Amino acid sequence: MVFKLCYFATSGIILNFVMKILIIEDEKTLSDAIVEYLDGEGHLCEVVYNFEEAIEKIELYEYDCMVVDINLPDGSGLDLIRLVKKKSIAVGIIIVSARNSLDNRIEGLEIGADHYLTKPFHLAELNAHLKSIHRRISFNGSNELVLNEIKLIPEEHRAFVLDQELVLTKKEYELLLFFISNKNKIITKAGLAEHLWGDHMDAADSYDFIYTHIKNLRRELLKKGCKDYIKTIYGLGYKFDLS
Amino acid sequence: MSISLFIYLFGVIAFYFSLRLQVDGNVNKEMGKRKISLIRQMEEAHSSVSQPPGRSEMVLIKPVEKAGSPDRYADTLIFNKEERKYELYRQLNFTETLNNQSFEVQIFKSLEETDLLIVSIIMTMTILVILLILTLLIVNRYSSRMVWSAFYDTVEKINRYDLNSHEDFALQDSDVKEFADLNRVLHAMTERIKSDYLNLKEYTENASHEIQTPLAIIHSKLELLLQSGEMSEKQYKALADAYEASIRLSKYNSTLILLAKIENKQFPESKMVSPEAIVTSLLENLDDLIRSKKIEVIREIAPDVMVLMNPYLAEMLIVNLVKNAVRHNVKGGRLKVEIRETFLRISNSGIEISADENLLFKRFYKSTSSPESLGLGLAIVQKICALYGFDISYQFREQMHCMIVVFNKGVGMDLNRDPS
Repeated sequence: MVFKLCYFATSGIILNFVMKILIIEDEKTLSDAIVEYLDGEGHLCEVVYNFEEAIEKIELYEYDCMVVDINLPDGSGLDLIRLVKKKSIAVGIIIVSARNSLDNRIEGLEIGADHYLTKPFHLAELNAHLKSIHRRISFNGSNELVLNEIKLIPEEHRAFVLDQELVLTKKEYELLLFFISNKNKIITKAGLAEHLWGDHMDAADSYDFIYTHIKNLRRELLKKGCKDYIKTIYGLGYKFDLS
Repeated sequence: MSISLFIYLFGVIAFYFSLRLQVDGNVNKEMGKRKISLIRQMEEAHSSVSQPPGRSEMVLIKPVEKAGSPDRYADTLIFNKEERKYELYRQLNFTETLNNQSFEVQIFKSLEETDLLIVSIIMTMTILVILLILTLLIVNRYSSRMVWSAFYDTVEKINRYDLNSHEDFALQDSDVKEFADLNRVLHAMTERIKSDYLNLKEYTENASHEIQTPLAIIHSKLELLLQSGEMSEKQYKALADAYEASIRLSKYNSTLILLAKIENKQFPESKMVSPEAIVTSLLENLDDLIRSKKIEVIREIAPDVMVLMNPYLAEMLIVNLVKNAVRHNVKGGRLKVEIRETFLRISNSGIEISADENLLFKRFYKSTSSPESLGLGLAIVQKICALYGFDISYQFREQMHCMIVVFNKGVGMDLNRDPS
């Protein structure tokens, strides 16, 4: 494990822990895109493109998190998950698969995967899942997420600004967490819709509700004295802009 | 049948008359001979009348004033005193002059016996023909049943043929060459169609699967491009449209894959699922949506209803129905969820639709009110219902659109019924 010193405006100096992530995805362009998106999030990413290489890496090194494609040209990602689980209990695993097969999903989650994403997925969604794994591993339960004047307690689904609790609905809380996980990045409306409602909604139906939720969330944040971080990007989506 | 009977009747009558004619001719000829011999006798006897030689013949001779009238044949009835009935006779009248005395001679010849003969011949014929027709009919029916059975079997099987069923298209063998040929050709044809169909299906399914990965790449690259942050509004707009389109495409694609999977019965594992649990969590998830449309939710749920289904498909079924009911609802409308042991009914307020209700379940059918929807939701619902033998129907009543899923008896029956 790697630790590095970080400075946060309100909480002072804490030890921030850097995740080592192994990305196993045979589609090179896709794995590159993943790495590029995660770049700047402070993780150490390594990429392998097939089963053999993945085995080699897993045998040699320890990882905190793994992003695995199930259908590899020379083997099954499920076997890799079993292997890595044998080595470390804390390891976080996210499966990405083109086949939205229930069997794979159930089996993957049973052998210890944390999440199952179906291709094509939103990179913001993958990032949010990595963040939640990151929180689980790094804070071991005493789990607080601090960003400038905002503080979240994910386990209790509570949020504070300057130590005053925000009054948020469940969806609004999820929205805030998703924004913070993908801070400084443009998040599309479709990505938000899928995160909040899953497959249950056709994206276009939910855009109005996203707008309503964001409006409420922003009002609540401003009311408690938070800076206006949420920027609207030309009808495309939103950005939680800290710059 | 009636034609042959008619022909036969006609034939019998014609036969009778031709026989009659023949017999009359013969009798006439005989009477002609008799006439000559009678004249000779009369000449030899100078006078007087000789008695007729047989019982079947009578001769009457009476003097007349003048001779010369031609020979005349006729049928006549004569009363038989012994048998007290009229009998049919053939009569020949002629005049002859002997010693300047003219005589009219009448020869009568009984037709009784020939008549009897004719009748018995006709009777025998009739019986024979009737027997013949009956045998023909029986043989015909029996043999045609034998011969055509293969044909009707084929017709029935073609009628029931379903490309999607995994049954073999086996036709009954036939001894009739034509039918055997027909079956052979049909078999070859269905095999060809089936293999073409399976190829096409496999192709589309593979294509759908293979499309997912490139789509994932497009998707992620567009998302990365969004983050680069050095773009004009116009560029953002173009990017946003492309991104939306890629999402739509992948949704279509995964839905079509799902439909194909349901068709191929790739969801074998079933267990008892509770529709109520699914509805509850779904309504919770859609809560803000429902509230923003000011929709009143009415739940009429019988306790402990369980249905034997694949859990994922059960969820898909209910999600699609409820989602539709929310989307097509009006502001301030009602959403009613009824779960009973035998059926599930989801109703929502709305204006009556004019479209054919069968179209509702067609793929890509869209109502004009929500052009953004995929138009595949009800197709999925219908496929799932077909898989489990549920009956899905649509009704519009009391200003509500109702979708009713009737669980099949035996399969979807409530197994954990509360004894109270």
